[in-house]
Amino acid sequence: MRGVNAALGAAGLAAFLALGEAVPRLGLVEETYFPPTSRIAEALADETGDSAFWTALGDTLTGWALGLAIASCAGIVVGVLISVVPYLRAATASTIEFLRPIPSVALIPLAVLLYGTELRSVLLLVVYASFWQVLIQVLYGVQDVDPVADETARSYGLGTWARIRHVLWPTALPYVMTGVRLAAAVALILAITSELVIGAPGLGKRIGVAQTSQAVPEMYALIVVTGLLGLLINVGARTVERRALAWHQSVRGEVAV
Amino acid sequence: MRRRLFTRLAAVSVLLTAAACGSSDGGGTSDAGASSGGVTTVEVGLIPIVDVAPLYLGQEKGFFEKQGLKLRFTTAQGGAAIVPGVASGQFQFGFSNVTSLMIAQSNNVPIKAVANAIASTGVEGKDFSAITVGKDSPIRSPKDLEGKRVAINTLKNINETSVRASVRKAGGDPDKVEFVELAFDQMPAALDSGQIDAAQVVEPALATVRSQGGRIIASPLVDVAPDLTVALYFTSTRYAQQNPEVVEKFRKATAESLAYADAHPDEARRIVTTYTKIPAAVLEKVTLPKWPAEPNRASIEALMKLGEDDGLFKSTPDLDKLLP
Repeated sequence: MRGVNAALGAAGLAAFLALGEAVPRLGLVEETYFPPTSRIAEALADETGDSAFWTALGDTLTGWALGLAIASCAGIVVGVLISVVPYLRAATASTIEFLRPIPSVALIPLAVLLYGTELRSVLLLVVYASFWQVLIQVLYGVQDVDPVADETARSYGLGTWARIRHVLWPTALPYVMTGVRLAAAVALILAITSELVIGAPGLGKRIGVAQTSQAVPEMYALIVVTGLLGLLINVGARTVERRALAWHQSVRGEVAV
Repeated sequence: MRRRLFTRLAAVSVLLTAAACGSSDGGGTSDAGASSGGVTTVEVGLIPIVDVAPLYLGQEKGFFEKQGLKLRFTTAQGGAAIVPGVASGQFQFGFSNVTSLMIAQSNNVPIKAVANAIASTGVEGKDFSAITVGKDSPIRSPKDLEGKRVAINTLKNINETSVRASVRKAGGDPDKVEFVELAFDQMPAALDSGQIDAAQVVEPALATVRSQGGRIIASPLVDVAPDLTVALYFTSTRYAQQNPEVVEKFRKATAESLAYADAHPDEARRIVTTYTKIPAAVLEKVTLPKWPAEPNRASIEALMKLGEDDGLFKSTPDLDKLLP
């Protein structure tokens, strides 16, 4: 089954690439603005031969990883804190619902004023966008705690810390993992967007420079790289999720009774 | 198993948070503006376009070093990041078009121009900026733009003012032109597919339009004033007050770099390839701007009057305060 799926996936990709080659060659779209696959591949090969490209890739990954780490830690800590302390959740719910829909990109002027075009500008946007993904999932996860289990733990005299550790955390972990996986994708999007718009060093900035330089194939080559990066991050996040939740029924595949 | 996972997770998160804090602290201590061994390093906010080639060339030729300056370039995609960056002290110097600076000044943003950046070539039909139409377009003159969709990169800025000047000069009514905001790099495609009737483009998009057979119907910057000063390098008023000697050194070295770039267009073209990705074939056909060492005040006054007619300014910009 796995082999068949992989073969189908490869065939789909090959068909897509062939389409990308054919459409501009047949003149359906202007070749100047949508170069054929082979031309993009050529530009991609040139890019990988340039050390500045790898520096840019490193910058983007740094912004992504740091932003995701900060957002995940903050999301987990704040989420657990809000859930554990009575009344805090009710007091913060409206504020969270107000802040959450604000698009991170709208904070670009603020980021520029505070930090210019440095990494910190990127981090501000990445953290803001991905923090909510984790926080909301943690809140859902904590809500899912079995009240009987919680009461049992209480009646056995477990303290707050022990209850978080033995009851709350195992219940919330699958939700946390979903949150982190979603946040990983959002963080990459925001890292590249902020580089593109603000001009902080990274792949986004390189795309912007290629765009203003009328270097169309190079621009698409870099876009392909960001796509591949997104794919890798998603596969990686799923692997981490499967490993971390190996004990959980959703991954073990056991039928819950 | 679970215990181990938890401990590991906790350890990793502590480590990552520590790394994050460490790195952001490290990145925060900007040594820009600090001097060491008699050399002052200044951060300059630029747009990665042909216009700023003289600074890169001047740095390479040692004109800034001679003055005891070292430039560190930060390129941003547009003026949106540069003006606030300079005003808030992230960059010591920045590059911006004259109208943006006048708008900022009329809004009491504390900035001051310190050196010339670029001027139009002053030659009708042979400038780095042009109003262009597709090859089969019936539009012959800016007067024909009445009722048509014309793309400019930013509404209510230098390009709108200059296109309006061209329409007015040709005897048309600029109020009847429908302006559409579009990034320069997207204009050739939009023009080609007929989404817009005309576009005011600058290099290198202009070279792309020309290679598709597009026609130039006017040179808007030339229509504003002869030898129009288009952009200037600027700093914040606070930095200018606190570091007058650095500003003077920057002005001197920039003037030397501008004169050198103007006299050596081939070298200017070559250095452009170091900070942009303009393909060699396109770069060959690009019309370079003029790089006079000093701004042309009369032309800036003409631009200001037109801008006032267009209602761009809250109050009349004070050119005595703004210009070097």
